[in-house]
Amino acid sequence: MQETVSKSTTDRTKAEFSPEEDKFSRVRTSSRRWIIAHLLAGPNKLIVIFVFLGTILSSLLGSGLMVLIGVAIDEFSDGIRTNLILYALLFFVFAVSSPLLSLLTSLTRENLAQRIEKDTRHEFYVSLLGKSQSFHESQRIGDIMARATNDVRMLNFMVSPGLSLLFEAVMRLIIPIMFVALFYPIELLTTPIIFTILFVVTLRGYTRKLDPVANQLRTEFGAMNAVLNETLSGIEVVKGSTTEYYELNRYFTNAKGYRDAFVEQGRIMAKYIPLLLIGLAITVALGHGILLYIEGRMTLGAIISYVGLISNLRFPTFISIWVFALIRLAISGADRLLDIMTKESEIDENLTGVEKTIEGKVVFENVSFAYPGSNKKVLENISLVVAPGQTVAIVGTTGSGKTTITKFLSRLYDPNEGRILIDNIDVKNWSLQSLRSQISYIEQDTFLFSDKISENISFGRTSSTEEIQRVAREAQADEFIEQLPQKYESEVGERGVQLSGGQRQRIAIARAFLTDPRILILDDSTSAIDSDTEDRIQKAMRRILYGRTTFLITHRLSQIRWADLILVMRKGQIIAKGSHDNLLRTSEEYRKIFVKRFNLDEEKLLEEEK
Amino acid sequence: MGFGIGLGAEEYDRSYRDRDLVRRVLAYFNPYKKLLLIVTAFLFAQSLVSALIPVLSREAILQLELAEDIEQQRLYIIFLILITLILNTLGWVFNYYRQTLSAIVIGDTVLDLRKDVNVSVLNHDMSFYDKYPTGKIVSRINTDSRDFGQTANQLSQTASSILLVGIMFGVMLLINVELTLIVLLLVPFIFIIALSFRKAARRLTLTGQRALAVVNAFVQESFTGIQIAKTFRQETKLFGKFKVVNKQSYEANLRRAYLLNIIFPALSTVQGIALALLIVFGGTATLDNNLTAADFYLFLQALQLFFFPLFTIASFWPSFQSGLSAAERIFALIDTPPAVKQNDEINARDIQGEIIFKDLDFSYVEGKDVLDKEKPSKKEKDTISGVKVFDGFSLNIKSGESLAIVGHTGAGKSSLAKLLARFYEYQSGDILVDGISIRNYNLKEYRQHVGIIHQVPFLWGDTLENNVKYAKAGATTDDVRWALEQAGGSDWVDDLPEGLNTNIRERGSLLSMGQRQLVALARVLLENPSILVLDEATASVDPFTETRIQDALEKTIKGRTSIIIAHRLWTVRHVDRIVVLDHGKIVEEGNHDELMANPDGVYAQLYNTYFRHQSLEYIERAVDLS
Repeated sequence: MQETVSKSTTDRTKAEFSPEEDKFSRVRTSSRRWIIAHLLAGPNKLIVIFVFLGTILSSLLGSGLMVLIGVAIDEFSDGIRTNLILYALLFFVFAVSSPLLSLLTSLTRENLAQRIEKDTRHEFYVSLLGKSQSFHESQRIGDIMARATNDVRMLNFMVSPGLSLLFEAVMRLIIPIMFVALFYPIELLTTPIIFTILFVVTLRGYTRKLDPVANQLRTEFGAMNAVLNETLSGIEVVKGSTTEYYELNRYFTNAKGYRDAFVEQGRIMAKYIPLLLIGLAITVALGHGILLYIEGRMTLGAIISYVGLISNLRFPTFISIWVFALIRLAISGADRLLDIMTKESEIDENLTGVEKTIEGKVVFENVSFAYPGSNKKVLENISLVVAPGQTVAIVGTTGSGKTTITKFLSRLYDPNEGRILIDNIDVKNWSLQSLRSQISYIEQDTFLFSDKISENISFGRTSSTEEIQRVAREAQADEFIEQLPQKYESEVGERGVQLSGGQRQRIAIARAFLTDPRILILDDSTSAIDSDTEDRIQKAMRRILYGRTTFLITHRLSQIRWADLILVMRKGQIIAKGSHDNLLRTSEEYRKIFVKRFNLDEEKLLEEEK
Repeated sequence: MGFGIGLGAEEYDRSYRDRDLVRRVLAYFNPYKKLLLIVTAFLFAQSLVSALIPVLSREAILQLELAEDIEQQRLYIIFLILITLILNTLGWVFNYYRQTLSAIVIGDTVLDLRKDVNVSVLNHDMSFYDKYPTGKIVSRINTDSRDFGQTANQLSQTASSILLVGIMFGVMLLINVELTLIVLLLVPFIFIIALSFRKAARRLTLTGQRALAVVNAFVQESFTGIQIAKTFRQETKLFGKFKVVNKQSYEANLRRAYLLNIIFPALSTVQGIALALLIVFGGTATLDNNLTAADFYLFLQALQLFFFPLFTIASFWPSFQSGLSAAERIFALIDTPPAVKQNDEINARDIQGEIIFKDLDFSYVEGKDVLDKEKPSKKEKDTISGVKVFDGFSLNIKSGESLAIVGHTGAGKSSLAKLLARFYEYQSGDILVDGISIRNYNLKEYRQHVGIIHQVPFLWGDTLENNVKYAKAGATTDDVRWALEQAGGSDWVDDLPEGLNTNIRERGSLLSMGQRQLVALARVLLENPSILVLDEATASVDPFTETRIQDALEKTIKGRTSIIIAHRLWTVRHVDRIVVLDHGKIVEEGNHDELMANPDGVYAQLYNTYFRHQSLEYIERAVDLS
């Protein structure tokens, strides 16, 4: 049964995680490529094309209107009356179809923008789920939040209104110039072409200056979010230490950093040269037109239309200030997303790895470990053999590496040296899904999600109410759950505040009964349970160890006595191992722990053992 | 949805009248009134320049039509072109100042707002934080305030648009009265169309902002609990929920975007109709020689310049809604009164530490200001407020006394400590310290005298040293060493990669649970409080370290009032007095020997059960227990 359960979850995970992973992972080398790949993915491509065509058409309509006005005015000045109604109709058609067209394009564009926001956030989230534990520990959650909500939103803004405004800007730059080329003396092209060249050159200078500020803006926002999130998460300590003012200052410093970047961005946007150029271009165009009129090569209407066309270049000039700021911010946002996504997840899913029911033999071979970016070894040269079904107790002082040692089994970390074998297979060769679904942790400080108690027990499995109640009973958790206002349907607060440490621990035990793991890790060094319930909890724990390989981090003598093997740890090394009786005789360290702990008479203890 | 991902209002959310909201928004811009006026003036000047250029072009072209004295005419044209050039340059300068200054106004206003809302959030008591997800609060403070900042742009744009519309209207009247009246007929339609979007815009924007806050909160929780999710292979479940949350945000924001995108095309259609009408009437007028071609051209240009600001004015109210809805969310957060309020500011610098709990009533729910719109049903409410932690609780603790509180889970031990630290408001009765109600002290000074060590230590993503001196910024490295030494030894510090300067990462995740507790303990010891509360402080450390802490504590509790909340009874044997709590009531009190004298007493039973677990006999039996 075990096998079928794990197998079906594996398939589900594969189906949901993999496709996205593959599609964009190759283009994550540069933010531009990645953004473009998203714009062109699947149906998005069609929307981009539609927005593009819609933009061309509405620009054509805009420029056409200008030409038409010129022609009409010329005719009216010449007293030609016949086409009056035709012009009015044409104008009406132009004037109504243009907004209609822009409505269509803007609606589809919005659709694309919101979808890109959704999809990139999705991709980011999936990528985060796949990261190793050591990665997560090195991240500030508030900054991750900023990336997942606000940086992703920058991509949305880039598409809408950014993208279509960009198209529109390009079109409204090219089309008026084309019209000038088609309808007017060729030398009138001089002004717009020189303008365009200068425009492109100065625009590049503008975006270059914008680049660092955009990065700074996004980074500052992330920092600001991180500080705020940390402060609010630790609010109890803030209040207890009366450091509200200090925290406020810390936030203010970051918010000020964001403000300064924002103002700097405003300054750069203000110093936008093309705006000066366009004024110059219009003036020169007017002069040039008049010159040609005097020479008799142009009509009055033609000058009006020509200057009108050149004035149309105002739009791309003006809008580029904003469009390129949006694009720059999106690229900075994308950089921040990719920065996380491309960080090599140290542990891969290994989907093709071994998938089978674990027997429970565990071997550590010369395992050493240091946290990333540090040379100091947290664990050194750990070797160990555990037979299937054995219970191993780990004791030692705080910081000796007791908890760390258990994290290699389900590959929350991988060791720097040495290897870990489960059933004689290196854990790296197991399918991560198969491995983790058969290994359970009951932690010191059990984290509960803001959800119902029943959900926190079943944790995504489709379990019947009876089943949940059964495991709660086995874990001795049913009694306090029944006392809650809504029993199993009661919501647990964000940080699980309404439940005590002991109650949370029992929820975790119930969870483990339900998952029925082959290897169990019980981190009980806290003993955060009160005495009267202890009896029953001990029973529950004893029952859960039965028939599986168990690692027990504990200092309760009663639990240690269950152990087939006891490891004594100090400063990342196993300094002694063996059975309780054996260790009492041979290990001074082991003796010391218990003698001091229980005020036991050392000699008496030894005597009794004999 | 059971997991708090709905789009409902928070309990503290409330609706403000638009008038009040606008007044408060304006109040935030008040300090920058002058700057904002200058911005508006520059914006106006800039628009005026763009409006003047076609007028000048017309003048130039009119000169061509006259064509009498060619020389003089040429000079005049050159003069006009020069003026155009100067105006254009001026336009650039105006734009420069406008953009720079408005960035400053927006930046500063948003900064002010963020500061204010942060101050009010930090003033809330713990009941607020128990209830509202941090991620959603963060979203309000950082994301909504940005939307708010945009209102500065809208305000100045609208102000300058009003001026511009007036001027263009005058220009049009000068050119031709009849044509202007035709245009005027269409203006009401523009306003009717734009204003009809107002309500929907507000509603959809609000939903969009909420949806994003939900995403923020969900991401926060996902990665706070990532380790547990990983070990239980719950990525799929989290992912499933994420998809719901993400899709919800997608749909909410798409609906909003759709709505806002309809406004401008709708308005442009009115403009199109105006244009067609003008061609008919204006064209006829030109043909009848009532209007020169140049005037007609100018009128058409003026019309464009008239409509654009008119649209800005008309759509001001709908687009201002996103700023208003952000403002509403932020002001609601600012206006929520904290449940814990001080009545006085009595100096608390020399607290001796005598504590009296007098007829105390307390339950976790009732203390909150319930401003709920979606009120829970009456029945539901009754069951919630039914959980009373204390009902007429009384206890006196002498200055310098060490008192242990023991009892079952849920007996109210931690609640007592939290009330003493003023984290929650009690409903009736009182807590007196040195004879003065704790409601009357200067809260900051008072809390400095109450040091609490929690069961689960919270540390900051900072260096070890800064974590220890968190509550006492002026402390030296020697002080930090001393505090760590007091807290049971600092030998482990040197095993860290950079000793005291090691960055221990967010929540102290680089350290083991036991080490984190040592740091939290040192942090409080450095603060040197006159009242020390240990809330199962040694529960997270191994017995070996616990012994070291115990030895250290025996020294430190001398001379201060200490409250030790414990379930491991052997840690409390040496205290002056032990109080046994059960369901918020004292069932026994006395010192260890006194309490043990009654073998049927709760304490004696607890103690015996506890020690039975540690006895060798029990341990041997445990081997067979299953």
